[in-house]
Amino acid sequence: MKRNLKFWTRYTWECTGVVLAVAAVLAVIAVFGAEGLDLRALATVVPYFLCIGAVFCIMVGNSGTQTLYVPLLLSMGETRRNVLLGFHYFRVLIIAVMLALCAVIWLLVPGEASAVGLRSIPTILCVLVIASAMGSIMGTIFVKWKWAGMILIIPLCGLGGGMVGVAGSLVGGNFLTARTFEIVSHLTALPWWLPAAAPAALALDVGFQWMLLRRQEVKL
Amino acid sequence: MSLHCENIVKTYGGKDVLHDVTLDLRPGKIYGLIGRNGAGKTTLLSILSAQNPATCGSVTLDGDRVWENRKSLSRICFSRELNATAESGLAAMKAREYLRIAGTYYESWDRALEERLVKLFNLNLKKKLGKMNKGMLSMITIVVALCSGAPYTFLDEPVAGLDVVAREQFYKLLLEEYSDSGRTFVVSTHIIEEAADVLEKVIILHEGKILIETDTQAFVDSAVHVSGKIEEVDAAVAGLEVHHTETVGRSKGVTVFLKPGQKVDGNHDVSVQPVSLQRAFVALCGEEAAR
Repeated sequence: MKRNLKFWTRYTWECTGVVLAVAAVLAVIAVFGAEGLDLRALATVVPYFLCIGAVFCIMVGNSGTQTLYVPLLLSMGETRRNVLLGFHYFRVLIIAVMLALCAVIWLLVPGEASAVGLRSIPTILCVLVIASAMGSIMGTIFVKWKWAGMILIIPLCGLGGGMVGVAGSLVGGNFLTARTFEIVSHLTALPWWLPAAAPAALALDVGFQWMLLRRQEVKL
Repeated sequence: MSLHCENIVKTYGGKDVLHDVTLDLRPGKIYGLIGRNGAGKTTLLSILSAQNPATCGSVTLDGDRVWENRKSLSRICFSRELNATAESGLAAMKAREYLRIAGTYYESWDRALEERLVKLFNLNLKKKLGKMNKGMLSMITIVVALCSGAPYTFLDEPVAGLDVVAREQFYKLLLEEYSDSGRTFVVSTHIIEEAADVLEKVIILHEGKILIETDTQAFVDSAVHVSGKIEEVDAAVAGLEVHHTETVGRSKGVTVFLKPGQKVDGNHDVSVQPVSLQRAFVALCGEEAAR
C-alpha cells in the first residue's frame, strides 16, 4: 500500500500543477475582462478558479486513469482493491490540497469577500466531492462504452458551458466586481441535502468502479 | 512450494479459450510456453498473474490464493507485450516514466541492473512509447522483467521485433539472471529454435489445453523423424505414436513420439533422425494446418 500511495501522491502533485495552470489561465482571462487591475479582488476570486481547475482536472483525468493507469498498475502486480483505494485517495488529496490553498489565499487577503470564501468552504467541499464522483462515473462510462459516455458527456458539457455563460452575463463579462462576490456569497448557505449527497455520490462511484474493476481485463 | 493453477477455464463470448488447465510451476526453472497463435498463452499468463480473472479455477502461490493478494502478487511479474497505440494511453508515456512506475511497484526492483540494461540496449528513455518501434518496446518489457526481481517472472514474446544481436543479448541476460538469482522464468515465444537451448522445461499449449509439460530435452529426445519408402516406414513405426506425415511419390516421412521403452523397428530400411524442438512442436500442433 505504501508504494501505491507513493505513486498516487506523486500523481496528485502532477495534477496540482495542471490545476494551477488552469486557474492561472482563468485569472488571466478575468484580468483582461476587468476595467482595472484590482489585485485584492483578483486574489479573492482566484480560489474559485482553483476549484474549477480541480473539477476540470478530476473529470478529464479520470478517462486517462481508466485507460492508462488502472490497467498499468494492475499489470504491475497491484490489487484491484488498492488501485481503487489509490484512485480515491488521489481525489480526496487533490480536493484537500485545493481547499487548503483556497483557505490560505483567503486568510492572506482579509476582507469581506475572503470571509465569504472561507464560509463557503463546506459547500465547495461537497460540490467538489459530488463533481469528482460524477466525473469519475462518466469518465468510466466514456472509456468502457464510448457512445453512451458521449451521450452523457455532451449535455453535461453544455450545462457547464451554459452555467459559465450565464455567470459571465450576470457579471457583465467582468469577474472582478462586487456582482461576482454577490453571486458566490450564495455558496455560504449549505443546503441540508448537500452534505448527504456528497458521501452518497462518493459511495455510488466507489460501488460502480468496484463492480467494473473486479472483472477488468488488463490490456496495454 | 510452487505457483499452481487448477482447472482453469477462461471463456470469452461463450467460447472456451482455456479448457481445464492444471499446471505447476516449480521454483528455479526456465519454462518455455509455446503454442500457435490463439492457443491461449497470453490468457494463461494473465490469469496466473491475476491480471485477468479466470472463469473457473484457482491460482495459488505456495498455497496462498493469488487473486487480490498483494503478498503473492509482489512475487509475480508478468511483463506484457506492449502495444503503445493511442487507444491504450501508453503512447504518450515516456519510457522513463514507465520504468519509474515499474520501479515504484516492484519491491525488489534492481536500479543498477536497470541502468545497465538501458545502456546495453541503447534505449532513449526520453522517447515516448508511442514513438518506439516494436524492438524497442520489447527491450522495455525485458528491462521490466529482469529488473523486477520477482521470483516468478513471465515474459510474453520478449524477442518480438528484436534483431539477432539483441535476441542473443536477451538469452544471455536471461541465463545470467537465472543463474544469479534462481528465479523462475516463463518465456512465451514463437521463435522456438533459438530459445530451445535456454528452456529447461517446455509447456505446449494447444487450443486452450496443455498437451505437454516436460523437460525440454526429454521431449526432444522422445521425438524422431523416420523416412524411407512408404511400406518400410509404415512397418517400422507400426504401433507407435505417429504425427506429421509427409508423402512425396513413393517416399514417406513421419515424426514419431516414443514412449519410454519404445523404439523404431530397426529391421526395416528407414532413416531415423533426431528432431529439433521446433520440428517436434510442429509435428504435434501443426497437423490440422498441414491437413
